Amino acid sequence: MDKQPGPGASEGAGPSRKPRAAATGAATNGDGPDSPTGSHVEWCKQLIAATLSSQISSSGPADPRENRTGRRGDWLVFKRLPHRQDSLEEGLSYHGDSDSELLSDASNIPTLRYGAQVKMSQNQVPLLPGENSHVTVKDVMYICPFSGLVTGTLTITDYKLYFTSVEPEAPFILDVNLGAISRLETISVPNQGENYKGLELVCKDMRSPRFAYKTEENHPDVVKVLAQHAYPLSNSLPLFAFLYKEQFPVDGWKVYDAAAEYRRQGLPNESWTISKINSGYELCDTYPSIVVIPTNICDEDIRRVALFRAKHRIPVLSWIHPETQATIVRSSQPLVGPSDRRCKEDERFLQIIMDANAQSHKLTVFDARQSSVADTNKAKDGGYESESFYTNVDLNFLEIPNIHVMRESLRKVKDVVYPTIDEAHWHSAIDQTHWLEYIKLLLAGAVKVADKLESGKTSVVVHCSDGWDRTSQLTSLAMLMLDSHYRTIQGFQVLVEKEWISFGHKFSSRVGHGEDNHSSSERSPLFVQFVDCVWQMTRQFPSAFEFNELFLITVLDHLYSCLFGTFLYNSEQERTAQEVQSKTISLWSYINSQPEDFSNPFFVDYEHHVLYPLVSSRHLELWTGYYARWNPRMRPQVPVHQTLKELLFVRAELQRRLDELQKEAAAQSVSSSSEHSPSHPGTPLHSAV
Amino acid sequence: MLSGSKNTFKVRQMEPMLKERMLSQSGASARSRDILGLRCLPGECVLQRVPMVRKKLTSREGRGWLSGTLFCTHFRVAFVPQDTPEQLDNADPVLLGDHDVALAAIEKVVVVGPNRTKQVSASSSLKFTPEELLLFCRDMRVVCLLFDRLTPDAHVLQMTYTIAKTYQPLKPGSVLAFQNAALGSVEMKQFLSNRSRDPHMNWFETAQDWNQELERCGAVGWRVSAVNERFEMATSLSRFVVVPQRVLDTELKKTFAHFSEGRIPRWSWRHPRGADLLRMSSFQNNIYHEKDDIRNLELVLFGGHSSLCVVVELGEELPSTLDIHLSHSRLRALCLGDVSSSMTVPDDKWLSSLESTHWLHHTRACLRKASEVCCLLRSGHMTVALQEAEDRDMGCLVSSLVQVMCDPHSRTQRGFQSLLQKEWVTAGHRFYSRLNYHRDCDKDESPVFLLFLDCVWQLWAQFPSRFQLTEDFLLALHDSLHLPLFSTFLANSQRERLKSSQHVGQSYTRVEGWRDVPLELEDLCDPPLPPVWDWDLQYSKERQASFTQPIPSPTPPQPLLNGNLNTGTDTLRMADTIPGSVFLLSRGSFSCPPQLPPWRSSLSSSVYRKSHRRALSSEHVPGLERLLKAWALADFPHTLTSHSGPQGPLDPYEPLLPLLMGPCLGLWRQCYLRGAIHAQAFSHPLSSPQPHPVERLSRQVQQLRTQLSQVPVPKEPCSPETPMGLQRDLNQNANNSTFLFPAARSSKTPSPQQSSRPAAGPQQSSRPAAGPQQSSRPAAGPQQSSRPAAGPQQSSRPAAGPQQSSRPAAGPQQSSRPAAGPQQSSPQRSHKHTFLFRASSPGRRRSTAPEAQSQSCRPHTAS
Repeated sequence: MDKQPGPGASEGAGPSRKPRAAATGAATNGDGPDSPTGSHVEWCKQLIAATLSSQISSSGPADPRENRTGRRGDWLVFKRLPHRQDSLEEGLSYHGDSDSELLSDASNIPTLRYGAQVKMSQNQVPLLPGENSHVTVKDVMYICPFSGLVTGTLTITDYKLYFTSVEPEAPFILDVNLGAISRLETISVPNQGENYKGLELVCKDMRSPRFAYKTEENHPDVVKVLAQHAYPLSNSLPLFAFLYKEQFPVDGWKVYDAAAEYRRQGLPNESWTISKINSGYELCDTYPSIVVIPTNICDEDIRRVALFRAKHRIPVLSWIHPETQATIVRSSQPLVGPSDRRCKEDERFLQIIMDANAQSHKLTVFDARQSSVADTNKAKDGGYESESFYTNVDLNFLEIPNIHVMRESLRKVKDVVYPTIDEAHWHSAIDQTHWLEYIKLLLAGAVKVADKLESGKTSVVVHCSDGWDRTSQLTSLAMLMLDSHYRTIQGFQVLVEKEWISFGHKFSSRVGHGEDNHSSSERSPLFVQFVDCVWQMTRQFPSAFEFNELFLITVLDHLYSCLFGTFLYNSEQERTAQEVQSKTISLWSYINSQPEDFSNPFFVDYEHHVLYPLVSSRHLELWTGYYARWNPRMRPQVPVHQTLKELLFVRAELQRRLDELQKEAAAQSVSSSSEHSPSHPGTPLHSAV
Repeated sequence: MLSGSKNTFKVRQMEPMLKERMLSQSGASARSRDILGLRCLPGECVLQRVPMVRKKLTSREGRGWLSGTLFCTHFRVAFVPQDTPEQLDNADPVLLGDHDVALAAIEKVVVVGPNRTKQVSASSSLKFTPEELLLFCRDMRVVCLLFDRLTPDAHVLQMTYTIAKTYQPLKPGSVLAFQNAALGSVEMKQFLSNRSRDPHMNWFETAQDWNQELERCGAVGWRVSAVNERFEMATSLSRFVVVPQRVLDTELKKTFAHFSEGRIPRWSWRHPRGADLLRMSSFQNNIYHEKDDIRNLELVLFGGHSSLCVVVELGEELPSTLDIHLSHSRLRALCLGDVSSSMTVPDDKWLSSLESTHWLHHTRACLRKASEVCCLLRSGHMTVALQEAEDRDMGCLVSSLVQVMCDPHSRTQRGFQSLLQKEWVTAGHRFYSRLNYHRDCDKDESPVFLLFLDCVWQLWAQFPSRFQLTEDFLLALHDSLHLPLFSTFLANSQRERLKSSQHVGQSYTRVEGWRDVPLELEDLCDPPLPPVWDWDLQYSKERQASFTQPIPSPTPPQPLLNGNLNTGTDTLRMADTIPGSVFLLSRGSFSCPPQLPPWRSSLSSSVYRKSHRRALSSEHVPGLERLLKAWALADFPHTLTSHSGPQGPLDPYEPLLPLLMGPCLGLWRQCYLRGAIHAQAFSHPLSSPQPHPVERLSRQVQQLRTQLSQVPVPKEPCSPETPMGLQRDLNQNANNSTFLFPAARSSKTPSPQQSSRPAAGPQQSSRPAAGPQQSSRPAAGPQQSSRPAAGPQQSSRPAAGPQQSSRPAAGPQQSSRPAAGPQQSSPQRSHKHTFLFRASSPGRRRSTAPEAQSQSCRPHTAS
């Protein structure tokens, strides 16, 4: 450990970056005061996204290496970063002298622009504000699936597991944050003597690092400590988000204000009203306090409707078309039951929704489920709107399988991408996971919804069983296609806050934050699936989104990390009860403090364009940048991302100069014009070749 | 509706045809005429015309529909969009407009009626009026045309029949008709014979060309031999072969017999670290040989060095030509659908079906083999000889792929073209048989070249910023391959090519320089087929502009004569190798074959000393294997490090080793799926897959730069101090920084007017310092105007005249770069090139115009 890069290491980051700054990016503006810090922040972001590490403000010993990676930064750099941490072989191949060089320079300690200084524990583990280290175990072996054994020191804090190798010539760091751990398994460690125990951390983010450690000594049991902090809720400990003490200049909790968002959509209007009927969550405990419902329906009727809808999730407006007034309305399934119950108020409710849109005399109900499942549900007191009772209603089943199927599918994806990728049967292996097939179903469903609204000018009601899983996926995707506002960084945050968080997607149950129960059937990667769909859209419409891939990966990483309060708990009611907003920090604070790192250089705000992605499976790809990013061999080859940033910089600089010169030229045109004429040689436009 | 009888139809069809022909012949004076919006080629006549047709745009073109007029001529199906800008009357003819399809490229014609779909052939008759016309092309495009409802049924039917009758399902004899339709007119022949060749690429047709290449690569110990000048020694080889200096022609002649088809080991390329790449066919076992033969053979094999030779056997791990053919047919069927009745291919199991075509598998095998060879080459002094039974398929593929991976010059458009000339065209790849235009050699058909293009595309997709050429260029080449119009692809060897285009009997009497004599009047019997590289003939300037990145990768410094650039550890490891050892690389492992030249074992005492061989097999094989393992271990990141790690300067010759994992090799969607017709026809400009982001942005940067350079520079161009200081820094850092950021580097090199950067070819090598140096200055273009360093120099010889102005780009750069020294030491070369510039390339001059302009502003204002 003492051979590890010490404080010098953290300082080394600056200078080693220097030549680059001078040579490339910063070249155009000289040594801009901001550039070292800026680029530091840059790679730091990427590092975070990559490793799920929480080193937002840290630039500890990990830096020399990561810094280098960052410099090699890339369009997909984040997928490369982790590998360098994961795999020793790279260490072997190129650490060596480069590191010493890095460490030798000392100046320019990177600090983040929001000023937090890195705090290092005595073990040289970078700690976040509020983070404490609990156990340090020496002589632990990391069983790297890509390069074999790495011996090093393992530290467990209340936020992460941090492993550094002891070999100075092959520095190696593995950083897994505890929130991502799904389950801990003991494994057998052959060939290492009997007093070695093996441990496998099965993670939610598609990797499973394995360790081997000696048991003889009297230090506390690693597994116990790890389990305690990986599952704080099961052990009556607070989630780390409540301990995290970082300060950000921007308050992400202010991003979403339901009333403001509805105002943006032009609500309330004569047909729709912003209602406080659920302000104390009495009507529906999983809905937000503010909902939009038709104007001319009385509270009494609404209560009746609530009784007729599963979990009291009544139809409420999600989005309204600015021109046609066609609306996306979401709800849960009607409790029709085997006896074909009817509810006059519910029928009238849908009628009113339809009437609110003068353009169409139809209302389309999209039931996300498979029709057979819907029938099963009907037998179990659920059901769907019968076209014979609901006049002018079109019922469509989108045939999307349930959360269990999705969970299983993603598990298969993990088998395909980690730890080894079968080269010869890669494509058929992906086919067998059916993941892309489900992505396709989802996108196709969302396209149908969007098209019905845009071309059909018809209002739609979307529901599945409870209206918090597939419904959220479909409505948010459809809204992303329809409304360019949601394709901006802030807009996307609003979309997630609104359609997912406030409408009660059960993040806590689906992700299993801080809980031990890894086999819970409640867990399912629905949000991941949604983000995957968004990524597919960004691939097809590269300039339509303000955010980049890093943004999406960061969001997903912090879905698991429990560092921010954003995705904690199941509903707005729970969140209010836990005072999440006052006691934790929002992910959006972090992202909006440095939006430039998450923005897409090609973004053009196509304000009135509706995006219809191609949903043919030959136009969908597996998002290897996310799923397969732990594999060192998946590292992209050229730093496209970096190049883009630099080119953008050059472009801005050139533009500035051009303007400047034009101005000057205009001023001097009279005097200089005569001198210039001879300097324009007659250059033939077409070559004779 | 028109009656279905084709007989009645035929009669009716003739009339308009005749009329049109009359019409088109009437204005015979102009070389190409506008007939109702279509610019015809000389001699081309419109057979059929239907207005108000809508063409479905592919996603690459931005999707949606474009309305215009549809034409069918003897040569093509042309679509002229409404409001096409008027072109200059005297512009050179372009064979195909942006929306045209050559008849020879059409594979099948399918019509879609109200509720049915039918494939139309010359003899079929339709019982319904088509609403939609689908042209499935050999190059995997699908052109979808929609007729207007107001168009009379008769017109629609006539058009359909005309196309069905005139398109040529390739068969013996049809090619010539097609060629005549395209190039057969007197005017066209005249026009073609007056065209000059692109002087910026190396055609590898004269000894001088080869010498130039030797010089470019810094290869010493080799010479160009004219022993095969009359194709007497080996009919399939080029006229000139590069062999070791030590071997005399007389000795060489004896060697030919020992190789299949006489394709002796000959030099192809030299890695700047000193390793030579050779190609050869397999040994002939059955020939009587003498000691001298063996000695000669070994001399040839060891090439310039006497150290180490690795023979890489290409037969075993690479797909056979039959494999490639099968796999490509499957891929085509998968991507296009082979059923005339359905327009879409079933979507489910797409990935599995893709996998079962094995196309990507073959691509991977080729890339892997090439990567192995690259790893060997970069280790320094040795000879790597690629051996294939015939050396006419995989030999071409692997050796050119290796050069694309290792040699930045090969990643420029001109460099790539030169490479293809060298390794495919003159080296005798059997284009004619493999492409099988005439359908007369079905058993030989195999799209080896398409596989090569796919491999290059994979490299491009992984290293977009290190290529100057773009995907558009690869696509253009891909498409041209399906037009039986180019001399490049219409022969099996250089000999045949010369025979058909010129009379070999006459040409070879003129030693050297026959090429410089334009194709004289001697033979205009057949249409003089143009080479495919004459892009002006095929594509509009706008299309060509997208062939190259506006900001090309710089050409790295020229390899030092005598030197190897890098004495890395690998080299050291090899240095103690005992001279004269031969290893065979096969299936990833080295062996020291007892009888590499098959007869050697029988002559154990002669040339070979036993002790050597034993020592070698025990000690050096592991060393070699380490080289390979380094790559194989992890598709190795180790190269990445050296490019991008902060420590060492990036070696520009560090090969681009592709990642070969399943997810890393992708399908060339832009090529194979561009025709796929989707259920949705939402039109949206956004969804068009843009050029690579880097490409796009660098284009914008370039535009700005051009704009910037066009701004008249005021007296004291913006505060010279700051940019100056900056620049000095940059220059100091040039070596390190550019290497740190391979991608960034490319972005920084200003090259005005991407399209007109012909200097990417041979010239660049003559001023190799330019690239890297420019690259380190992000704003090089504009800054030049404000650079005192350049100023004085220019103003000191203001009357330099044309010479001066013809090399404005090179001048200032060199002046500010001390490192340019070594390169300048070959003054004779640069003279030559300067001369070249001056003499032949207005295009070149134009390309440098912005720079020139801003520079020359300076002296003016200063003085």
